[in-house]
Amino acid sequence: MAQPGEIELRNLTKRFDQTVAVNAIDLAIPHGSYCCLLGPSGCGKTTILRMIAGHETPTEGDVRIGGESVVGFPPARRGTAMMFQNYALFPHLTVLDNVAFNLKMRGVGKAERHRRAREMLAQVRLDRFADRMPAQLSGGQQQRVALSRALITNPRVLLLDEPLSALDEFLRLQMRGELRRMQRELGITFIHVTHTQLEAIAVADMVVVMEQGRIEQAASAREIYTLPVSAYVARFMGGQNVLDGKVTSVRAGVASLVSDTGERFSSPVTDATVTEGDVLHCCVRRDRVALERAPGHPGAQPERANAVAGAVHAIEYQGSYVKVTIDVPGREQFVANVADSRFFANRVDIGDPVLARWAPEDVHLLTGDLRKPARGMGAGRPYGEEITRENG
Amino acid sequence: MRQPGSNRRPWTFYALAAFFALYVLFLYGPMSAIFILSFQGPTGGLTFPMVGVSLHWFGALFGQQRTGDFAGSFTRSLALAVIVLSITVVVSVMAGLAFRRRFLGSTLVFYMAIFSLIIPGLLLGLGVGLMFQFLGIKPAWYSSALGAQLTWTLPFGLLIMFAVFSRFNPAYEEAARDLGAGPWQTLSNVVLPILLPGIIAVALFGFTLSYDEFPRTLIPIGSRNTLPLEIWAMTTNVTSPALYALGTVTTAVSFVVIAVALTSIAVIQRRRTRRGTQVDGGD
Repeated sequence: MAQPGEIELRNLTKRFDQTVAVNAIDLAIPHGSYCCLLGPSGCGKTTILRMIAGHETPTEGDVRIGGESVVGFPPARRGTAMMFQNYALFPHLTVLDNVAFNLKMRGVGKAERHRRAREMLAQVRLDRFADRMPAQLSGGQQQRVALSRALITNPRVLLLDEPLSALDEFLRLQMRGELRRMQRELGITFIHVTHTQLEAIAVADMVVVMEQGRIEQAASAREIYTLPVSAYVARFMGGQNVLDGKVTSVRAGVASLVSDTGERFSSPVTDATVTEGDVLHCCVRRDRVALERAPGHPGAQPERANAVAGAVHAIEYQGSYVKVTIDVPGREQFVANVADSRFFANRVDIGDPVLARWAPEDVHLLTGDLRKPARGMGAGRPYGEEITRENG
Repeated sequence: MRQPGSNRRPWTFYALAAFFALYVLFLYGPMSAIFILSFQGPTGGLTFPMVGVSLHWFGALFGQQRTGDFAGSFTRSLALAVIVLSITVVVSVMAGLAFRRRFLGSTLVFYMAIFSLIIPGLLLGLGVGLMFQFLGIKPAWYSSALGAQLTWTLPFGLLIMFAVFSRFNPAYEEAARDLGAGPWQTLSNVVLPILLPGIIAVALFGFTLSYDEFPRTLIPIGSRNTLPLEIWAMTTNVTSPALYALGTVTTAVSFVVIAVALTSIAVIQRRRTRRGTQVDGGD
């Protein structure tokens, strides 16, 4: 028996004229979980949310909530409630009447609906603003009103479209904790659309990384971050350096690889069948990379395996660690996150020649890219980085 | 000596200020003359100087003497303006809603509506008159003249609604639907109240365009005149300051209508931003 807040998308597709916004997606979101749809703008994540809400009709496929197909149902019959980007609070109604709107539409009497709306507002500590107009509230207060207005419908699924994007940094951090706490208390399913990686992994039980209308990876936040399935996910989430190389030998579940710029490294390949000559994509976590000064000119081929050599391009102090970006000739920039005590024990400066090295067991094979054609190995454009910055 | 950064104004300021003063003089000078002369004493004439000050000529307006049928034409004009206003508001709002979606022939319908704005009014009125004659219907202010005026106010109203809808965020409708409102509930509880200031603007346009419409109304008016036509007729045979009193009264009515409309828009906007500030100042 399906639980009420369980969501299943089957072969869900949405086309606008000739563009495919959502491309044959299958996804199951368990009841009572906090799920984040994550991806750059235009990846189809908001379209999926709107199809679940009933504000968009799928071109193909099925949306099932609690085991029942809801395609063709009006939003109110789905048991979903949506919090819109920029909240869409009715500007002509007071905060109280905004929250009571659903009850009014259902024909609940004025005294009763106002009483229940006040209760709802009290839960988000906004009861004393009940008689104000939305335009008189701050962004954070408006967000709480929007949340109350959605939750008064007693939804089994709450859909949040970029709920934190209109807030400043401080409020954003505060509210995302608040959302998580609220989801736990209510025990209903939350689906949260965002383009911010850190926001997604901070709140979600389940992160769905999307690109161009497809799901790249759907897994727990930790798995997405530490064990990305593809170079796209690794680059988009940040935190990883992507390596490409051609297999020179395979022995005992470990492949030796050489990049087209000559660096040698190895990768565990236990779960995949690879043969000599295959091109593999792997990644190594930024915080598992150690730095040492390299004598000689920057960019000289490192003597040892599992290392790249280059010159320090940028140094960013992040508090608990220092982010060191290294220019490596012939490939995308390499990043090492060095713990601050280690960094300051052996400082490097911009322009210094350095060797970045890692242990072979910290290399993770990007299995999702095995069946894809190699994308210009080695000298790949760091597009993941670009997306990160664009949306940061 | 001129110091850099001193706040002396350049000569262009004075030249443009003089130009603006002339503009204001030409705009309000003639109107002020008519306004002042309408208070001419009972023995005074059509020109300055004033021979005493009185309300005599305002009184003369309301007796149907040689001055023409002022009371009748004024009532007709007001009634016609209210009818035009109502039809313009209803049709423009509905057409505005319809044009939000592309429908078959929407471009054609739009250009046809706009076309009647650029046809010379007198010709359009002539056409309406001819058509009524051809059909054997007696032209009257409430039929043929009403139709002629609507060819003018409807496209105007439609264009205003386009501007109003272009600033309307469809997320409000989706939010209403999400919260269980049906199509009619969405329209009456969300869309219309949010658009109300724009709808008042359409009403204001409908009223004022009709109230002083002349070229389109002239031919299809029938036997009983509207106010502008009556004034026009009076200028040819009335030689007393009653004419000026008439001008003052009609202008005052226009101002009252505009003031009511603008005040109500301002009140609505204020309600949306200011209401409740006295409840709690802090945050």
